[in-house]
Amino acid sequence: MNYDIVIIGSGITGASIARELSRYKLNIAVLDKASELPAGASRANSSMIHGGFDDKPGTAKAKFCVPGNKLWHKLKDELDVHIDECGSFVCAFNDDEIKHLELLLSQGKANGAPGVEIVSGDELRKREPNVSPEIVAALWSPEAAIINNFEAVNAMIESAQINGAKLFLETQVTGLLFDDKGGIRGVATNKGDFTAPIVINAGGTHAGEIASWAGDSSFKIIPTKGEYFLLDRVAGTFVTSFLFSCPSKAGKGITVLRTAEGNLMAGPTATEQEDPEDRATTPEGLAEVLKGARKLVPNFPVNMNITTFAGVRANTESGDFEIRALTKPRGFINAAGIKSPGFTSSPAIAQYIAELIREELSDRVKLTPNEKFIPERRNVPRFLYLNMDERKKLAEKDPAYAQIVCRCETVTEGQVIEAIRRGARTITAVKMMTRAGTGRCQGGFCCPRVAEILSRELNIPLEEITRHGGGSKLLVGKTKEFLLNKEGK
Amino acid sequence: MNNNIDVLIIGAGPAGVAAGIGAKKEGAQNVVVLERDWDLGGILQQCIHPGFGLRTFKEELTGPEYMHRFIQQAHEVGVEFRTNTMVFQIDKESNTVWTMNKERGIEALNPKAIVLTMGCRERPLGAIRIPGTRPSGIYTAGTAQRFVNMEGYMPGKRAVILGSGDIGLIMARRMIWEGAEVEGVYEVMSWPGGLRRNIAQCLDDYGIPFHLKTTVTKIHGQDRLEGVTVAQVDDHMTPIKGTERFIECDTLLLAIGLIPENELSRMAGIEIHKVTGGPVVNDLLQTTNPAVFAAGNVVIVYDLVDNVSDEGLIAGANAAKFALGRIPKDAKRIPVKGGENVRLYSPQFVTGEADTTIFMRVTHPIEQACKVFAEPGLYSQRLRYARPGEMNEVKIKAEQIRNLPDLSEIVIDIQPV
Repeated sequence: MNYDIVIIGSGITGASIARELSRYKLNIAVLDKASELPAGASRANSSMIHGGFDDKPGTAKAKFCVPGNKLWHKLKDELDVHIDECGSFVCAFNDDEIKHLELLLSQGKANGAPGVEIVSGDELRKREPNVSPEIVAALWSPEAAIINNFEAVNAMIESAQINGAKLFLETQVTGLLFDDKGGIRGVATNKGDFTAPIVINAGGTHAGEIASWAGDSSFKIIPTKGEYFLLDRVAGTFVTSFLFSCPSKAGKGITVLRTAEGNLMAGPTATEQEDPEDRATTPEGLAEVLKGARKLVPNFPVNMNITTFAGVRANTESGDFEIRALTKPRGFINAAGIKSPGFTSSPAIAQYIAELIREELSDRVKLTPNEKFIPERRNVPRFLYLNMDERKKLAEKDPAYAQIVCRCETVTEGQVIEAIRRGARTITAVKMMTRAGTGRCQGGFCCPRVAEILSRELNIPLEEITRHGGGSKLLVGKTKEFLLNKEGK
Repeated sequence: MNNNIDVLIIGAGPAGVAAGIGAKKEGAQNVVVLERDWDLGGILQQCIHPGFGLRTFKEELTGPEYMHRFIQQAHEVGVEFRTNTMVFQIDKESNTVWTMNKERGIEALNPKAIVLTMGCRERPLGAIRIPGTRPSGIYTAGTAQRFVNMEGYMPGKRAVILGSGDIGLIMARRMIWEGAEVEGVYEVMSWPGGLRRNIAQCLDDYGIPFHLKTTVTKIHGQDRLEGVTVAQVDDHMTPIKGTERFIECDTLLLAIGLIPENELSRMAGIEIHKVTGGPVVNDLLQTTNPAVFAAGNVVIVYDLVDNVSDEGLIAGANAAKFALGRIPKDAKRIPVKGGENVRLYSPQFVTGEADTTIFMRVTHPIEQACKVFAEPGLYSQRLRYARPGEMNEVKIKAEQIRNLPDLSEIVIDIQPV
């Protein structure tokens, strides 16, 4: 299969690059080894759109964060993505930490982050009455926001697909292909070769390994686990903005936030590990999150917890993003080490990648504007957020919208069918695209129903339906068959 | 017809069907029961094992058989049922009930009285925060029961059961019957969650090991569950180092408790009790919204369906009285207080308008002769034991309340004798 551009990885970085490049007349292939999106760090993170004060001026992070923040405020309407423009507070408990706030304030000013200021602990508590009485001051960043990261990744990649990009799931890159001049020629995968004169490495926690195949050992990815608690929507009134602790070397510290969907959340830890795929939560990690959350919010209502999870982010030794076009092999671009503020930065990084191609690789691919580019993309209808008239209309047009599948998040059968039409093949894919199963019963009610709809719509046996692809089948066989097989009859 | 409903009942499980019968028998004209599933009966439809109705019918029935008798009676007295109809919103001020159905679309109903009979749901894994991965193969016992009994599929071949609630015990036996292995049942408390008779009939009879004061401490496996680590716990429920054991299994079934399902009740602005998780009710099963009544597991999780049906009849009858203007507005509201060893109870208030039963559970088991009582001198009954897994009852007659005009509170408790 011949393409102009192959993008490895369809996290927020790869998806944003795909969408940006789909503004040009290009054949783009986006490859991801997962069965549904988002899968890696883009699925399990704090879903923060950062204000831009946290990064040292002069770093790549500082360069992309503020522009990325601005782009997201525009993209949310274009792509129909939920963003809660709640602002963030960095909380200081003592004089040393106030000094840190002052440093952040000056960084914010240098980075062009608008409206950043230091407020007193009492001012913070006026807005957030549940925070610790021991907080003496806080850095307020009005442009910080919280995004629905499941929606955002799917919106980005869908927008790219609307504009011609092709997405290949369950497609794992196993090696790189080179031309006879030592330039890049494409990638080898478990589904065959994808050839292209430009390959973009947005491989997340695997990006270091992939770069090494191109002979680039200039950076190393340090997989860093972050564990989280996710609480019921009912607890979502506890805090209404994003609360940071003062950061340490390991990360930004434990935060407490209300997600874009109104759940209370706390995390992450920052534990370096060898295995980029180890997303198991640990007793130590969860205890650390709880301790950190209670420091910020003493009566953090952990009894309303609905799930715990962990993500693995792609830290680098430099602590910065690693974004560049290699001179050897030509045609290979790294978009690596994209961790916090990676989600925020991704649309700006994508624009920069286009610039790199235009300026450094125009002999390989020409960027001719695609006049038919459609910037708008609509989400799967969100029944929960519609008013009663909109709901009635939807139900009249399609009765499947008058059937609830997920009680906790009020997701209708119509939404599940629409997600399947857009490519969902697993229980988790439906969850990412519709939020069925994200609520307080965590799929206890909807999982069998979503499985049935998947089976019916895709015309595959119920036993073949998986939770998240691979060997994650839900069921092991029919009841009596199972008994007879066991008895060897 | 929509705006001519006297009593609207939400949920056609045992409580809802009985409420329909109770409302019709009390004289309400238009009594409608809404059910979100395609068939009536609620969770009892998937409870195909016997053991239901011993109190009500003096015989052992399966869940569907038990429900069939009530459903038949409901049809006879003229209860209207609407299946595949889900209530997704109740407006606080107007008590407008919003429903959806594929044929009828979205409708607003304005009944004179409402009975909440939504039942309960199972506590999910996240509620107990077990560390580890999130593979497939982890189900609440009820979800697994639906797969096996309703859909005809097996969730796995080798199961560990966490928690000893009744559905977990029933499913342990069911998995064995279907040729699966059950490695054991693990309960974090030092007493079982379910009924003794289920421990005997579902575990002991099949040689399934039952481990008290032991819990799952880690989940293993990327795609499908590959195993769990279990460990004994100390008196503070902290895992004891050195007691960890890895168990290979492809299925983990959870029977770690039931929670009354009150999303709609909250929307309706009804006060929810912090301990029961259900609406605060008086002995008429009237909630803090006078037009809204509640019965069954949505109020407090019962052991026996017979109790649920009884309460359904009462709530339905009182909702009908309310619709017909027959409930006195100045009824008494005497608070019931739980004593030292009472974990939860319902109702929380007594009017004295009718004879009543107060249902309760103890906090700690008493494995000796004891008595359940209501002060001042309203009730006393000797018991051989009292256990958290088995509900106790206090019965109070309306006449007793009438004879005590200055009664300011009722205290219930269970103490050794």
